[in-house]
Amino acid sequence: MEWPRKIVSLLKANDICSISFIPDSVIGQILKAAEKDPYFHFTTLAREEEGIGIITGEYFGGRYGVLMMQGAGLGNCVNALASLAIPYQIPFLMLISQRGELGEFNACHVVMGKAFRRILEALGIQHYTVNREDELETILGGAIKTAYTSEQPVAVILTTALVGWKDEK
Amino acid sequence: MINRLEATRYLIEQLSDEPIIASCGNPKFDLFTAAEKRKANFYMWNSMGMASSIGLGLAMARPDKKVVVLDGDGAILMNLNSLTTGASNAPANLVHIIWDNAQYQITGGQPTHTDGKADIESIARGAGFKQALTVNTFAAFKAALTQILSQPGPWILVAKTDASPAPGRPPKSPVYIKNQFMEALRGA
Repeated sequence: MEWPRKIVSLLKANDICSISFIPDSVIGQILKAAEKDPYFHFTTLAREEEGIGIITGEYFGGRYGVLMMQGAGLGNCVNALASLAIPYQIPFLMLISQRGELGEFNACHVVMGKAFRRILEALGIQHYTVNREDELETILGGAIKTAYTSEQPVAVILTTALVGWKDEK
Repeated sequence: MINRLEATRYLIEQLSDEPIIASCGNPKFDLFTAAEKRKANFYMWNSMGMASSIGLGLAMARPDKKVVVLDGDGAILMNLNSLTTGASNAPANLVHIIWDNAQYQITGGQPTHTDGKADIESIARGAGFKQALTVNTFAAFKAALTQILSQPGPWILVAKTDASPAPGRPPKSPVYIKNQFMEALRGA
């Protein structure tokens, strides 16, 4: 399983040194791959929305950040994206661990799983989906470049096809 | 009670080029009135509650600069979890001032929870801030500021203000505001 390590090296290659996150089992694997590298600064969030503010402040200070969260967390971010990051043109990567699609065991994740791409589209946020490890360099690297070119947040979605799903029924 | 504009003017006199994050509504209106030409002012036109988080991010990214946040009681009540994140990271260069007039002044003066039982200083201490103060008079505000600006933080300062009108209006282009603010930070 190379994808967590590949993600970490792509972040580093693109000067993204600050990781703001609400963990889940997928994000946790990325954190584990990054935790020993002193290059990264980690901020544990209490709610995803504050990550938009923190990354905005870091950007003002010359530091590039990524927001790592589960798809459900996007629902907690909507107004901060709509009224801060997008109109003030704050570029950053949102790395979203997908729930509610392939292999979901929890009905309470399914509605957001169906809605969240359309939420991104309603906000005008470009989003790209990674299903296979060999797509990471193109999609993640390309999305980061587009975020900084457009000075806008861009989302990359890690699906269960890439990361697997829980055995639970 | 403290007059918010008078206190904002006094704060500006004590600062040089430190970045200020001003929350949406009256904190940013009075900051603009007090320091129209100051480039290191970031004016928020919405994203209510995010001032504390923006200030935290900037303070962590720029430990060489004192970062001042001008917040309101309604706004911080909307993002109370940010106090736990701020206290856990505890950047020594963060000064978070909360103008507390116990009301949503801009929408007609409806009371906030600080008009009732909520106490922001206690909440901040509970979140983990070691240095949190509440002041009720302009003299106490000035004394607190002298201490805060000369000693390492992070600091929370709750200033009980009246509801004087805030007629100032900063520029309305978000990109203009951002560019001017970032230019000031780069030069600083």
